[in-house]
Amino acid sequence: MNKYLRTVQLSWQEGLVYRTNLIMWRVRQILGSLMSLSLWTVLFSKNSQLFGYSQDQMITYVFIVALLQSVILATALHGISGYIYRGQLARELLKPIKLFTYFASLDLADKLKNLFFVLVESVFLYLIFQPVLSLPNPIFGLIFLIWVVAGTIINFLITLLFGAIGFWSPDAWGPKFLFFMIVDFTAGKLFPLDILPKIVQQLIYLTPFPYLSYAQTQLFLGKMSNAEILTGSLGLIFWIFILYMLTTRIWRRGTKNYEAIGN
Amino acid sequence: MSKNPIISVRNLSKHYQIYQKPPGLMGSLKSLWHREYKTVKAVENISFTIQPGEVVGFIGQNGAGKTTTLKVLSGLLYPTAGEVSVLGFNPWDRKNEFQKQFALVMGQKNQLWWDLPAMETFLLNQAIYEIPDKQFKKTLDHLTELLSVKEFVNVQVRKLSLGQRMKCELIAALLHNPKVLFLDEPTIGLDVVMQKTLREFIKDYNKEFGATIILTSHYMGDVKELCQRAIVIDRGQIVFDGGLQQIIDKFAQNKILSFSFSRQVKKSELSKFGRIKELNQDGSAFTATLLVPRDQAGKVAGAILSQLPVQDLNIEEPPIEAIIRDLFNQQNKSHE
Repeated sequence: MNKYLRTVQLSWQEGLVYRTNLIMWRVRQILGSLMSLSLWTVLFSKNSQLFGYSQDQMITYVFIVALLQSVILATALHGISGYIYRGQLARELLKPIKLFTYFASLDLADKLKNLFFVLVESVFLYLIFQPVLSLPNPIFGLIFLIWVVAGTIINFLITLLFGAIGFWSPDAWGPKFLFFMIVDFTAGKLFPLDILPKIVQQLIYLTPFPYLSYAQTQLFLGKMSNAEILTGSLGLIFWIFILYMLTTRIWRRGTKNYEAIGN
Repeated sequence: MSKNPIISVRNLSKHYQIYQKPPGLMGSLKSLWHREYKTVKAVENISFTIQPGEVVGFIGQNGAGKTTTLKVLSGLLYPTAGEVSVLGFNPWDRKNEFQKQFALVMGQKNQLWWDLPAMETFLLNQAIYEIPDKQFKKTLDHLTELLSVKEFVNVQVRKLSLGQRMKCELIAALLHNPKVLFLDEPTIGLDVVMQKTLREFIKDYNKEFGATIILTSHYMGDVKELCQRAIVIDRGQIVFDGGLQQIIDKFAQNKILSFSFSRQVKKSELSKFGRIKELNQDGSAFTATLLVPRDQAGKVAGAILSQLPVQDLNIEEPPIEAIIRDLFNQQNKSHE
């Protein structure tokens, strides 16, 4: 079997070892969606339109964000800086594997696992709320899928970029926490960004963060003009390119600087 | 010696930058805006070559540079200066063809997946090293039998004892039949029986596969039993490179003379012959041990035989542990 496929498989097996952990983690996720859905259902009971969203659109937004979180934003690599700092990366560096591909397999395993659970849970939530989902046409649907993959790559590269801190410093929690906060806010995890003033939105669009969920939701809901889809696509390509160059360079320097602890 | 060494190291140096924090909370606060760095010369200008099939022991105190050297040879560390070639590759390039032919086992680090049985890591390594099914099965059977771990390979790694885990670590590292094997403290923390098992195994592995092995260890027992050659490293420099017997010839200053006498012998009678290490009486047995300069050992033994009531006599080299200890003590003193 291919080495990376085997890694995916092992990572799945490991994830399934602790059942309680697995169940608690899923309960937390489902509660989040449940709260969002209940909140918006209550708000829409008096209004047919809020912040430019109809009830169907907002409910679809919540579903899509939950899905995108588990595909784009969830990652198995949060602990990577500590892993590097403790010298554990040595075991990967010694083996005939491509480091980034290996990490990508670990991440892919995690995302597939998430996706499976989210789909099951979404069916459950769908049956409770019975929303009318607004679905895109097939072409937009296809572009949406490509954007999701692109967003996933951006998040992967950003995670590795932050992880590289471990080559130089033990404490990556400061920057990581800041990153989580920024993402919660700017990826549209808490609310759609178009609720914000125009100028703030424009500033956020200068960063890669709206491509980590928000842009994809807007495309899905049909809220984007063709011109906006084009700029969005260019933005995705631009950020993948920049982040790839930056991350590979920093990792090359990091591994050269690596002292892998010990005497 | 053949002309094609499998490992060659020329003028290798590896320096680290270490940041020094002044003690206490004030020191920590100060270090937020001003840090002082010190250069530590972990390895300084060392050279050696190793022939295929050799088993070489690296001996040195903590922080002497043994592990640093192994890490440079494995391609984990980038050398500050010098040239290194292992199996004809520059380790730092981390080429697949190179990595498929060697393994590094570190006693304190592990590659096994902690929450899964060791077998899963073995299968992953089969895929990573692209080992054909037939060869994998054969090697695995052979190794699990040699180390008698057949019944543990399907148990979660975290539930294994240290010894069982170390055996599984070795198997994981050897499944691809590496031609070059670096063992960093392979017996650390293991009990005497397990140390012996591992030593036997390493010896067999070297014989069977003709593998070249470098081993670092705190236990002279490991080196004595496994290595024909030892490289002694102190403060990043090689202070000795040669056969174990040569260490004795070069650094042992004394021989040990042990006697048993038919009557009690006074301290004053013995002390003129050499330094008394022990003088004991146990029931009717009177024994003594003397340290005598090597070149005079024969003469002194003859003199004692003719002047004192000797029943039994034994002339020995001091144990290699003691020689190395003395050597390091001398080095430490000269650096004080």
